[in-house]
Amino acid sequence: MSLFDTAAPLVSGAVVALTCALVLVPLAFMAGASLMPAMDIMKMPYRWIPETWKPANFLRALAGNDGAWMYLRNILNSVIVSTSIAVSTVVLSSLVGYGLAKFEFRGRNAVFMAIMGTMMIPFETVMIPLYLIIVKAGMQNSYAGLIVPFLMNAFGVFIMRQYLITFPGDMLDAARIDGCSEPRIFWDIVFRNSGPAAATLAVLSFRQQWDNLLWPLLVAQEEKMKTIPAYIVKFAAEKHADEGAMMAVAVIASLPVFVLFFTLSKYFLGGSAVYQAGKE
Amino acid sequence: MKSRQSMGRLERNRSKWGWLFVAPGLVFFSVFSFYPMLNAIWTSFFNKRLLSLKRPNFIGLQNYVRVLGSEDFWNSARATATFTVGVFVPLFIMSLLFAALITSMKRGKRLAQAALYSPAVLSSVVAALIWLLMLDPRGLANQFVNWISRTPGIDHRWLSDSVMVQVSTMIVYVWKYLGYFTILFVTGIGKIPDSVNEAAVMDGAGPIRCFFSITLPLLRPTTVLVSVMILIQCMKTFSTQYLFTQGGAPLGPINVITLNIYNTAMRDLNIGKASVMSTILFLFMMGLTWVQLRVSRRDEAEL
Repeated sequence: MSLFDTAAPLVSGAVVALTCALVLVPLAFMAGASLMPAMDIMKMPYRWIPETWKPANFLRALAGNDGAWMYLRNILNSVIVSTSIAVSTVVLSSLVGYGLAKFEFRGRNAVFMAIMGTMMIPFETVMIPLYLIIVKAGMQNSYAGLIVPFLMNAFGVFIMRQYLITFPGDMLDAARIDGCSEPRIFWDIVFRNSGPAAATLAVLSFRQQWDNLLWPLLVAQEEKMKTIPAYIVKFAAEKHADEGAMMAVAVIASLPVFVLFFTLSKYFLGGSAVYQAGKE
Repeated sequence: MKSRQSMGRLERNRSKWGWLFVAPGLVFFSVFSFYPMLNAIWTSFFNKRLLSLKRPNFIGLQNYVRVLGSEDFWNSARATATFTVGVFVPLFIMSLLFAALITSMKRGKRLAQAALYSPAVLSSVVAALIWLLMLDPRGLANQFVNWISRTPGIDHRWLSDSVMVQVSTMIVYVWKYLGYFTILFVTGIGKIPDSVNEAAVMDGAGPIRCFFSITLPLLRPTTVLVSVMILIQCMKTFSTQYLFTQGGAPLGPINVITLNIYNTAMRDLNIGKASVMSTILFLFMMGLTWVQLRVSRRDEAEL
């Protein structure tokens, strides 16, 4: 073995380890700073372990600079909106995906291509017309307004169709012979058995909405209808915002997704990655 | 005879159910994708203003002339292009490099991937907020750079200098998405059969030679896909720039196209002009997504 053969793995291992450490620095900073007084966060030289602890940052984060406790309400909004969208995306996408995968009818390909075509439409392009629709329907500052434009997406239809194409047709025919109605076949047999694809899609949709800033910024101008990202921007831009409290706000916003990530990491890293082309 | 008749009925019945199942999709995408898209193009020919009761007039291509003749638009085009290139080059090279390094590791592969991926778990706004504090004049970024370059006390003006603030937004993005694209490359490299590499090693090729002569050419479907995905992501960037400007950074250097559309519509209430920019963005994205769809379908066919 040459020197190169022994040294190379060591060097590449060291490079990877060093980069991983560097990548984690901002996360450590967020966690540490969320427990520090603002003065210490901007201190030179920076101390990684807080000298004085200030858990009260979290109270300030939740109560807000005005003491209205709006963050609690905004977190609840994010949970409601993201969960509803995740559920509806999975149900509606499998419904449509099932129709496209397992039924033959004239124009099926055209329908499929049309739906796939919507992937080419960036959300940023349609957001203003969408906003005007929501205004016309009187759904500003409501959950409906936050949820309805995202009830499903082309990417979801695509995943579910690809998954259901391989679904055994014999099983469906057997159920039909037994006199099972089509809606029941969908619900009891197809939907119940689309676990992995449905879970991937649910996690993905939930995350996308948890992250969504632009749309709530447009339709939810009332404080009490804001979601987490909009609250963060507002909190950070306020005049007397405390840096420690800002990081506490960030930690609170990140905990649920980290929990999701660690419990469902295979759905995060698996199929989720490759075809992500839908709405942001 | 009878059975054929019932077959025909069965088929008709099946096709009816097929339509019923796809109907929600047709309705949804018509109302929330196709109509708004056509509406955006339509509106770009009118002098429409938000919250105005006045009937908008058809003004032909005037909005286009105005937008394409305004410095503001070209500044946004420049900001978006700079950002896209500035993120693309380091992100592409680094994620490919780390994917190659991680695949060659014997232990700790999963740990390294999880560590690199962890920023991608955060919301974009949270990511931008963390960096907003670290890039503060008194913050960690200055201390770190000064410690490395042995230049104590220098403020690098991360958020106030017009060049540096662009670099800062790029750093946030590369940091956030490095792990994500590394994992895509790791998956792509994993699909290359081991036997190909083993044969090359037997023939006396070193690891670097193997990478450039074998891995890279065979990885082509993934490299194209990742390239397009990075480009699309970058052209749609909004949260980072929005939070930075809200936090006091100058708007001009980082006024990317999405931010400009948002401000033109919601602050200046000029929907006609915003629609022109939306339509231009759509044309660019359509081209890119088309490439992506073609590549991913071919990719799938190869599997």
